[in-house]
Amino acid sequence: MIPATVTLGDLERDALTEILNIGVSRAAANLRKMIDEQVTLSVPSIEVLSRRRAARMISEREIADLIAVRQDFDGPFSGRALLIFPETNSLDLVRAVTGGELSNDQVVEIEREALGETGNVILNSCLATMANMLKRSLTMTIPEVLRGNGDMLFEVGEEGAAEGLVLFLYIDFAVRKRDIRGYIAMIMGIPSLEVLKELLDEFIERVVGQDA
Amino acid sequence: MPEIDDNAEAERTRSALGAAGASGTWDWHIDSGILHADAQFAELYDLDPQQAQAGVPAETFFSAIHPDDRARMRIAVAGILGGAELFSKEFRIVTPDGATLWVHGRGRSFLDANDEPIRFTGLLVDVTERKRTEERLRIAQSAGGVGTFEYTDGFATVAVSDEFCRLLGLHPATSLPVRTINNVVQPGDAPLIPQPRSGIIPDTLDGVFRVSRSNDGAERWIARRGEIIRERSGYRLIGVIYDVTQTKEQEARLLELNETLEMRVEQELTERRRTEEALRQAQKMEAVGQLTGGIAHDFNNLLTIIIGNVDAVLRRFDVSSDPRARRSLENALQGANRAASLTQRLLAFSRRQPLDPRPTDVARLLAGMSDLLTRSIGGAIAVQIDAEAPGLWRVEADPHQLENVILNLAVNGRDAMPDGGTLTIAAHNHVVRDEDAPASVPAGYYVCISVTDAGVGMSAETLARVFDPFFTTKEVGKGTGLGLSMVYGFVKQSGGHITIESAEGSGTVVRLFLPRNLDNEHAPAAPMVVAAQGSPSETILVVEDDDDVRAYTVGILRELGYRVAEAHDGATAVRLFDRDEFSVDLLLTDVVMPAMSGRELADILWDRQPELSVLFVSGYPRDAIVSDGRLDPAVDLIPKPFTYLGLAGKVRELLDRRPSRT
Repeated sequence: MIPATVTLGDLERDALTEILNIGVSRAAANLRKMIDEQVTLSVPSIEVLSRRRAARMISEREIADLIAVRQDFDGPFSGRALLIFPETNSLDLVRAVTGGELSNDQVVEIEREALGETGNVILNSCLATMANMLKRSLTMTIPEVLRGNGDMLFEVGEEGAAEGLVLFLYIDFAVRKRDIRGYIAMIMGIPSLEVLKELLDEFIERVVGQDA
Repeated sequence: MPEIDDNAEAERTRSALGAAGASGTWDWHIDSGILHADAQFAELYDLDPQQAQAGVPAETFFSAIHPDDRARMRIAVAGILGGAELFSKEFRIVTPDGATLWVHGRGRSFLDANDEPIRFTGLLVDVTERKRTEERLRIAQSAGGVGTFEYTDGFATVAVSDEFCRLLGLHPATSLPVRTINNVVQPGDAPLIPQPRSGIIPDTLDGVFRVSRSNDGAERWIARRGEIIRERSGYRLIGVIYDVTQTKEQEARLLELNETLEMRVEQELTERRRTEEALRQAQKMEAVGQLTGGIAHDFNNLLTIIIGNVDAVLRRFDVSSDPRARRSLENALQGANRAASLTQRLLAFSRRQPLDPRPTDVARLLAGMSDLLTRSIGGAIAVQIDAEAPGLWRVEADPHQLENVILNLAVNGRDAMPDGGTLTIAAHNHVVRDEDAPASVPAGYYVCISVTDAGVGMSAETLARVFDPFFTTKEVGKGTGLGLSMVYGFVKQSGGHITIESAEGSGTVVRLFLPRNLDNEHAPAAPMVVAAQGSPSETILVVEDDDDVRAYTVGILRELGYRVAEAHDGATAVRLFDRDEFSVDLLLTDVVMPAMSGRELADILWDRQPELSVLFVSGYPRDAIVSDGRLDPAVDLIPKPFTYLGLAGKVRELLDRRPSRT
């Protein structure tokens, strides 16, 4: 069960979705500049799940192995952010961002680097937007690229895994006429989520005002 | 970077949108805070169309939005103003006439060179109808427990509804991989979604599948129904699934109930037939028992007289007498004895034989019979006695009758082996446990005595009837047909059980199961005391309604030296007893008499003289002194017909048992 203190209400969920939408839009703008191509990114919805549930859900939806870009963040709330793609989609993404002029071997060769860079842009934009919109500051580590299944990515079975929850976002990624489906996950402890919830409430108060 | 400053192009776009059913468009200039809207938008928002086109404050955007959706839409717009590029929301607006409409607002922001949003444009589409339809569909799915799916052949994923996911225990999603769905189906069942590009167009979507729900592993039955839509390149499936586990379980229970019902009826009938059969058998036995018991009673009186008198004459014969007359008398006596043993068997079979059970050591009993067995079986037959001598438990049984029974079985065994062979008589301890108790022997501790021959055996039909009285396979004159009935009667009366196992050509095993006797007392050695004389100081009162039997009895007792008083019924006996002429030491009375039974008489006299010794005489004791076929403790009985020696011994035994009067 997810504790009531961190259960997001409808408005809180909408607010977080919108903040991350701003984040991925910023990321898309940055990617457009990088590759000089139309890139759109959007976050249709968000869920809060236990790590185990998140791992099970992603394994239900994705048959292939997963590839992820991981960055830790620290500040008033801290945790670990993951940008996850099915492995098959990751090569598509690399081809898309590299312009499709590379041979297959070359794509595989630079996959890690290209993914790390793309992931960094997206995750950085998201986290920076969150910090900005919530009027706090966050620091981030440099990105790491990893492969594995849901259990591994969400560290199911590791110490403290029962505590942590996952903010789970779907991300639609359209670039060079390719539609690439991916996920953003933020693994956070309960105290961090409590802080996040408070900050979201402040944000809603600011935005909605008398209509709340 | 998109540029839509061209008004002509915007106008074309708007008219195209209007033709597509758009309800209105807007163009929000973020820097100036002015909202431009078209005529349809103005109508929905109750704005003046001219003004709307010219521009109204941006805040107007929220004015028509349903209060419950306003906060949500402010957050969504904040996203756009903050830099989000895409806008796609469904929300309610309240029209000037008070109607609530569902609209889908779809738009996007445009950024300046610094990536700051400058305009937010979009269109509103009235989706009220679609929204209601969706709502009806959603309620139909959740209330009816029906999940929908749509699958186009060749795709790796299936479009599914939340209820679809819930039914299979999957996390709600709008689309799932084919493999994820089929993984839920139990191995061996057909896949819920056909494998992509299998090249075969399914005939029907109707089917039932066993699934293990993904979240809790519960096994459920899922039914699938739907339609197959053929398309040029292949097919598309649109269908529903729903849980039919309850129906399936009810079907299974009903089926099981039906099956077991038949079985239970069959069992019940078999049991009833068996009980009826047992009852019929018991009634038959009871009737035959009544009859034979009655006959035996009268017969025993007659035999007592015959045997007594022949016996008396023989005792008076001396060596000088005519040897032929003596032989004739001896033959007569032998015949009468045989008749007596026949009535004894009749009584045994009818279970009216008074038994005198006592703790008996079967091993010792068999050892004692060894001579007798060898002599009466002998010849071509080897008799082997095999008893676990030291460890064998005691049984409680009448030892004389038990000897009789064993002898009887041994003789049967002998007769089954006309060409000779080995007859084995064995005894061992036998424990029957609850779980493996055969129908004929209930659980308990027994001594099993088996008599095994290697003879001709019996057919199943014969086997079924062996315990019936007067059933015999022996030639006329060779057997009475009472042997096994007597054995059966004895065993039952002793609280035991009997089994018989035989097949034609492979011998017969008869097993007697006698209950273990748990009393520790040792079996008293009961040697027959030979001739015991009396004295005139010992007075015996003889009560017998049959004059001949009384005369015979009185004769023997006087000959033995006792002082004897006699009475032909109870009342006379009581008067005689009260006369004070003499004190009576022993009452010897018939059990069955008119008016007052021997038992009643004894009770009266015991009232007057509690230490009085009483010996009952009977050919047919009925229930007067016997309960459950056993003598009441402290009751002594001598069966008719009795012999001189038998009576002498029993009378002496009783008189000697009295506390010594010094």
